[in-house]
Amino acid sequence: MKKVKKYNNITGRRDFLRKSLISGCVLAGGAIGLEKVFSGENDSGEKVKVLTPDGKVFVANSDHLKEFRPPPVTNEEARKGIPNRKFVMVFDLSKCDGCKTCTAACQEMHFTESDREWIKVFKMKDATTTAPYYFPKPCFHCDNPPCTKVCPVNATYKRQDGIVLIDNERCIGCRCCMAACPYSTRFFNWSHPDPRQVAATANIPYSPEQSLPRRMGTVEKCDFCPDMLREGNMPACASTCPMNAIYFGDQNEDAVTNASGVTVRLSQLLEDNAGYRHLEELGTEPRVYYLSPKNRKYPVPDMESPVKKQGKAMPMEMDMGNMKM
Amino acid sequence: MTMKRIAFAITLTGLFYCIVIDQGHPQTQGKSESTIELSYYKKADMTKTAVAIVKVRRDSKFVPAKNAKVVFYVMHENVQRLLKSVNTNNKGKAVIVLQKDLPLEEDHSFSIVAKIENDSMYENAEEYIHYKDANLTLHLNPHDTDRIVTARVTEVGNDGKEIPVKGVELKFYVQRMFGIMPAIEANTISTDEKGEATLVYPKNIPGDSAGGLTVVAKIEDNEQFGNLENKAVTSWGTVLEAEKDPYPRSLWEPSAPLPLILSITLMFGGVWCSYFFIFFHLRKIKKGENILL
Amino acid sequence: MVNETLNLPAGQAGLKNGIEILREDCLRPLQKWGRSTLIWIGFLLLVIGWGLYCYIHQLRNGLGVTAMRDYVSWGLYISTFVFFIGISHSGTLVSAILRISKQEWRRPITRSAELLTFVSLLFGGILPIIDLGRPDRLANIVIFGRVQSPLVWDVISICTYLVGSTTFLFLPMIPDMALCRDRLTVCDSRFKKFRKWLYTKMALGWKGTKSQWHTLELTMTTMTIVIIPVAVSVHTVVSYIFAMTLRPGWDSTVFGPYFVTGALYSGSAGVILGMAAFRKLYHLEKYITLKHFDLMGRIQLALTLIYAYLNLNEYWIPAYKMATAEGRLLTDLFYGSYSKAFWTCQFGTVMLPIIFLAIPKLRKPLMISITCIIIVAGAWVKRYLIVVPTLLHPFMPIQEVPESWSSYFPNYVEFSVTAACLAGIFLIITLFSKLFPMIAVWEVEDGLKIDYDKQAAIYLRTKREEEEAKILEDRLKTGSETIQQPA
Repeated sequence: MKKVKKYNNITGRRDFLRKSLISGCVLAGGAIGLEKVFSGENDSGEKVKVLTPDGKVFVANSDHLKEFRPPPVTNEEARKGIPNRKFVMVFDLSKCDGCKTCTAACQEMHFTESDREWIKVFKMKDATTTAPYYFPKPCFHCDNPPCTKVCPVNATYKRQDGIVLIDNERCIGCRCCMAACPYSTRFFNWSHPDPRQVAATANIPYSPEQSLPRRMGTVEKCDFCPDMLREGNMPACASTCPMNAIYFGDQNEDAVTNASGVTVRLSQLLEDNAGYRHLEELGTEPRVYYLSPKNRKYPVPDMESPVKKQGKAMPMEMDMGNMKM
Repeated sequence: MTMKRIAFAITLTGLFYCIVIDQGHPQTQGKSESTIELSYYKKADMTKTAVAIVKVRRDSKFVPAKNAKVVFYVMHENVQRLLKSVNTNNKGKAVIVLQKDLPLEEDHSFSIVAKIENDSMYENAEEYIHYKDANLTLHLNPHDTDRIVTARVTEVGNDGKEIPVKGVELKFYVQRMFGIMPAIEANTISTDEKGEATLVYPKNIPGDSAGGLTVVAKIEDNEQFGNLENKAVTSWGTVLEAEKDPYPRSLWEPSAPLPLILSITLMFGGVWCSYFFIFFHLRKIKKGENILL
Repeated sequence: MVNETLNLPAGQAGLKNGIEILREDCLRPLQKWGRSTLIWIGFLLLVIGWGLYCYIHQLRNGLGVTAMRDYVSWGLYISTFVFFIGISHSGTLVSAILRISKQEWRRPITRSAELLTFVSLLFGGILPIIDLGRPDRLANIVIFGRVQSPLVWDVISICTYLVGSTTFLFLPMIPDMALCRDRLTVCDSRFKKFRKWLYTKMALGWKGTKSQWHTLELTMTTMTIVIIPVAVSVHTVVSYIFAMTLRPGWDSTVFGPYFVTGALYSGSAGVILGMAAFRKLYHLEKYITLKHFDLMGRIQLALTLIYAYLNLNEYWIPAYKMATAEGRLLTDLFYGSYSKAFWTCQFGTVMLPIIFLAIPKLRKPLMISITCIIIVAGAWVKRYLIVVPTLLHPFMPIQEVPESWSSYFPNYVEFSVTAACLAGIFLIITLFSKLFPMIAVWEVEDGLKIDYDKQAAIYLRTKREEEEAKILEDRLKTGSETIQQPA
């Protein structure tokens, strides 16, 4: 026994050294390999230091920061709106090909989950004998808004520039507005917002004009991007439509502009193309007009297959399985 | 012995992955084909910019290229002089402001070259433009009820004097919130021998609250001069009446219509009055007062 | 009627005896808490506890723990809210309407009806709060309330009705509280001190003086008159939450009357069930007699017929036209996924009770109780059928949304919390019936006295007529000589 032990002692050190070298290499190789596998997104973005309006500094990945967004206006200002403007949107259905770039751009800008489409592209077929067409529908920001009438606490309100906004610091979550809206335009925050989204929007002071950060138990919907409008930029959907099917403008100026910058007289556009409003007979006086799909520039949609989705998958994209139920 | 073999295999795999497969360095990675579109703009405030739009081929389509490093040069006497290098933004656009003392050729023309060279993600590409400097001026009376605007295009001649240019196509617009709207349908007018183009603006264009209107004249994609623009503020628009009461009493505003408030108050007020009457009498029972007398 | 207990012509003594028996019968249940009562209360507390736990889970994780999603944004909670507010019309019907029309037979059943109103109103009012996404901001309704909103009208009218029905329940209890204060504390009962304090406070120093009776009569008449329009307004306003929207199925002009008659219909069924339960449990067969069931059954029949008529209007008119959006909804209700529930409701819970109630033999306590259980359950399912299918048939097609959005069935959280509310109703009714008499003793006493007076008057009159007839006979027999002056 002693002999064996002694033998083991001498070779033991060698053995130990060999084993530790091998395990070291294994660990190093494995760790590097694992790191490459799990490093996730391309860390190509630079880190940027951002100063918030209330003087806090935080470091963000510039990939997550959108183009420079000015600090939002106060809640009181947001209720008043931009004076002397009356915003309208026009959809040219003969140009819409159902690509849903507008939906993706809106979701990216507002950190929205992928199943919640503030501007939703429907495939409509009015009757068995008429032809189907793509129908993008944002909130109509009606002039006789059924949603605003039923809100018990004035959390959703209509501004002087025609935009209907939601104040998520006052909303009690009764969902009366969701029942009242005939266009299925509103969404409810049933659960806690996604933690990544919360982290990305944590330092944005709340403003109804940005509809961020989200609050659980409140309602949200398309807001015509008022913070962009104050800077003279069009809403996300209108400025990214690759088919130039979306026009946005000011009714007081009688002018609407599309994504390429082509600006036309609103009254002329509606006259030449027989513009109409959806479900006009409901009397809600929408601020969104549609031009009939005459002389289409794309094939008729197939009512059986799903609308194809383009636009990039956001870091925020998550499936319903992740939602806490 | 099996443990040793496994450990060896893991090490080899890790090292293999690091060295062979995952290359952080782009030298041996495939670069994408890219194109540059170069344009020149001279704004109303006389600033000159060169704009490069870089697009990259993806699945048989060209999409904007982000973060491509574009290097701008100015050509002077056959020598390329470096101006600046700018990275494209999310829309694939790189803008450089040309300095006022840009070296010009003898005929007062200049050349700008934009190159993508040695970029990590994009193949080399090059584009150049060659334009002559020109001036676009607007002549109008802001309070003119006839609403006539005259635009004059001149270039600098060899002797340094301004020469009017004939046959340049000008477009007249009105400035709107998100873009510029053609003043009339046929808004393209060519300059005459005097280098002037005239347009009468229509009467019915909505202006701001003071009837103000900004007229814009543009030369777009001219072969000789590039893009020029000039603006002027006039009072030719129809006056926008300020809304007297932007938040009237109505069913959807914060303040309710008076008949509604009145009827609810009367109905429920009456009921609560009767409740207080009852509570008052209950107190009488409690106190045991004789209320009959 | 109750006069069977009077052994006329035992007279005043018989009346006094009857009143004494009445008081004893009514106060007996208050004196002992049997084991079954404790088990029942324990079971209810369990259900409430579990419901509370589920509600806390909902508070912490949001309304997403229920099955509601963006299309069916109102589900079981709101349907149950409408149902409970409907049941709360029971007290108004029995107490106020029958009082005003001077129906004497209502006397034994007013208390249980008013109690049912109060309790179902309480829990009906809690349910929308449970349904809120941000109940912590409830005060906003008061601070920032907009009178143009149907929800604010709801809050105003439910609060008004709650105060009204509490008063309406409490007023007739005052003389009974005095009775309990004077009699019960002498007996051996639990929580003696607490009960003595409670009865004394609630009796408001009642001594039965003439002026106090007068005040009571005055306030009760006022309340009776005021509570009827308040009750009508409550359910009308609840219907406006739906009818003021543009949705197919809700955008109907007949919603106000439809809901009010539905409320009366389900409320009176609730009263009958309460009647039957307390009659059985507390052995009040002498006071809540077969006649009561017969009369309430007739009223229930009338109300069911009116409700059936409004039901017909509500569905036949849009079905005739089959306008686009309503057409889709009605196809689903008549032939589609909701057809089973819909037709069971219409035939099983509206038409069938009409047949049962129309047959006099079936207006017996057991049979009518079964009919009323069918009616109440049917009314609940009907409310669900009003709320949910409309939400699944909006104007814009439901396309490409997650699976959970395009269909709805309540999940365990919603069932648990709703069950807890129902258990809460039963619990409060049980506790109430153990603390206070379930029959308005003084009212029934008054009824006995009135009955006795009537019977006495009839007896005296018959006796006098007999005497006069006898005198006439004698006169005819003996001729004209012995004409006696009538006594």
